[in-house]
Amino acid sequence: MRGAGAGWQELQLSLYRLKEPLSSPVTSTDETRGLDFGVFVPQRYSCTTRGGGWGASNQRYTNVIQPSAFKSNTWGGSKDLGRGLFGSSDFGSVGSGSRNADFSQNRFSALMTGQNIDDGYKDEEEKLLEGIVRDMEIWESSGQWMFSCYSPMKEKPNISGFPDFSPEELHLEYYNSRANNNNQNYINSVQQLVAQWKNRLLELKTLNASTRTALLSDLKNAVSQPLPSFGFGGQQTSNFGLSSFPVNSSSTSASNFSFKTSSSLVSASSGSTPAFGSRDPPAFGGASSPSAARFVGFGAQPAPSAASFSFKTSETISGLGTSGFSGFGNAPAVNSASSTPLPAFGAVNAAGAASPSRPGAALFGQAPSAPAPGAAAAPAPGASSGTSERLFTPKVELSAEELKQFEAKKFTMGKIPLKPPPLELLNV
Amino acid sequence: MSLFGSTSGFGTGGTSMFGSTTADNHNPMKDIEVTSPPDDSISCLAFSPPTLPGNFLIAGSWANDVRCWEVQDNGQTIPKAQQMHTGPVLDGCWSDDGSKVFTASCDKTAKMWDLNSNQAIQIAQHDAPVKTIHWIKAPNYSCVMTGSWDKTLKFWDTRLPTPMMTLQLPERCYCADVVHPMAAVATAERGLIVYQLENQPSEFRRIESPLKHQHRCVAIFKDKVNKPTGFALGSIEGRVAIHYINPPNPAKDNFTFKCHRSNGTNTSVPQDIYAVS
Repeated sequence: MRGAGAGWQELQLSLYRLKEPLSSPVTSTDETRGLDFGVFVPQRYSCTTRGGGWGASNQRYTNVIQPSAFKSNTWGGSKDLGRGLFGSSDFGSVGSGSRNADFSQNRFSALMTGQNIDDGYKDEEEKLLEGIVRDMEIWESSGQWMFSCYSPMKEKPNISGFPDFSPEELHLEYYNSRANNNNQNYINSVQQLVAQWKNRLLELKTLNASTRTALLSDLKNAVSQPLPSFGFGGQQTSNFGLSSFPVNSSSTSASNFSFKTSSSLVSASSGSTPAFGSRDPPAFGGASSPSAARFVGFGAQPAPSAASFSFKTSETISGLGTSGFSGFGNAPAVNSASSTPLPAFGAVNAAGAASPSRPGAALFGQAPSAPAPGAAAAPAPGASSGTSERLFTPKVELSAEELKQFEAKKFTMGKIPLKPPPLELLNV
Repeated sequence: MSLFGSTSGFGTGGTSMFGSTTADNHNPMKDIEVTSPPDDSISCLAFSPPTLPGNFLIAGSWANDVRCWEVQDNGQTIPKAQQMHTGPVLDGCWSDDGSKVFTASCDKTAKMWDLNSNQAIQIAQHDAPVKTIHWIKAPNYSCVMTGSWDKTLKFWDTRLPTPMMTLQLPERCYCADVVHPMAAVATAERGLIVYQLENQPSEFRRIESPLKHQHRCVAIFKDKVNKPTGFALGSIEGRVAIHYINPPNPAKDNFTFKCHRSNGTNTSVPQDIYAVS
């Protein structure tokens, strides 16, 4: 295997040399677009193995020379570059850390010589559409799973017309149909899905004016929100009266699976979701929002970027709010009626449910030293949110030890202050 | 189990058929076949944790059952026990001490199987098939995490009928992985969320999928000091994305690669590949 890998690497290197060599170092200015790269992508990859754990794994990629792999140029200037090719792309040779910006500039300017940036944007569209067409061709011919969503690029939303079904869902549908002696129904549904898939695929492969504009607007919409179709079930914090397991309709019913074509199908029943939640002992009382400093378990230094929380604050709230905190704002009375708080949660106070209102987002926008909100002081749920709403603690209110913790580079487990940090210590 | 037809190669019929015949295309690598395999497609496999003496293997199948074998050092398997659901079993896992097996099923429930007593009780309930189940062992709590097609992620204390916590997912849960204190969940429509489990589970970050197609499987990997640091995500396209949560250099460290796909049929990338980085 190693031998094959080495030979393959040599092959790649020789392929690269056939293209224009990267004669001048990439700078971070616009002048880079003057470089005529021809086929852009491969030159960026020197294919040397990176250090560390992934070096040895290159030999795994012996078979990666797929046409679709070269589509990595459609992955845009996003930071998580789908390098797509060989996994070992080494940007080290290319130079500075600002090369991300270079990349997005260069990617599109590489294809036109001497044009200005405005045309660059237009070409971005062209590239995107070309990428889509190529993807469609590959998808069609490869025989891979048809009922999958699709997006041309990492930050783009899913293209409409491709609903997502997993093989297990179809498998289950088949079993249900079979149990009801209704195989034909299943077959028809699947055939219908296949036909719709084919039509949509054909549409995208052969873009005429109208589908093209529809597609482009599709892609431009909701770029900032990666998951546009997801309604946040924030309203599901309302008290559900049932305490026992809900008796659903027969387990063999295809209730969640109507084989509709719209991408918003599935789970009509889940809209009303869980009848539990009301009696959840709000045992997750204490500090709930993920403090960056808490990730002692995570490998690297936490550095949450603002971008990671492109979801608006409200969403994060609802994300936490739906966590069965019946005591959380909406139904304060229910809390007291719930069963005993789980002892497993140790020191967590049952009544600390007010804390989740503090969205992690607000903290993540700040420096990593922002700790979890100090709600573990157990305010009653629904009680005045005075203390828990405060984002910063005046320095004077912190004990010496807390101040020391805030000023330290990292939090120490067990000594994390429960109050928010003072404004002065934050580096935004 | 004659009610359900055998659909997969693995589950075709009884055991005696294969032991004696000469090698056919069925088993070119001369793998040791497990005795008394399930009668239908296998949806999940898990070996017992090292805390348990001996090796045990559980497998959930589309025949609604989950079976347990003891695997001996020479590879021979001895069927030990099985439990039933009322719908196909989609996922299973062990508790950290190896005394319990948790199973998730299309019958919208999850069960806890106490192997010592060979009793299984329901511990979870969803509105739709439960796709993933994981045991979480944190310093200050333990629970079972279930992900379901009803777009929720629920955490269960096995003693209570109501979940300790419910988190909304943007879409149906397709796959998940847990390496304390991190959990990664991939959903339909290319949704991808990372959770932190310290103190209590909460959403850590929503990540834009680096892949273009449906998510198929996810597995967390660890760094050199044995802490979870990122995950591998596979899609139906056969492409795998390696994603670090906090890489020093995101453009450089995160990447995707495409596995060689066999003709047409290999739509699911087995999760076992990413168990260890």
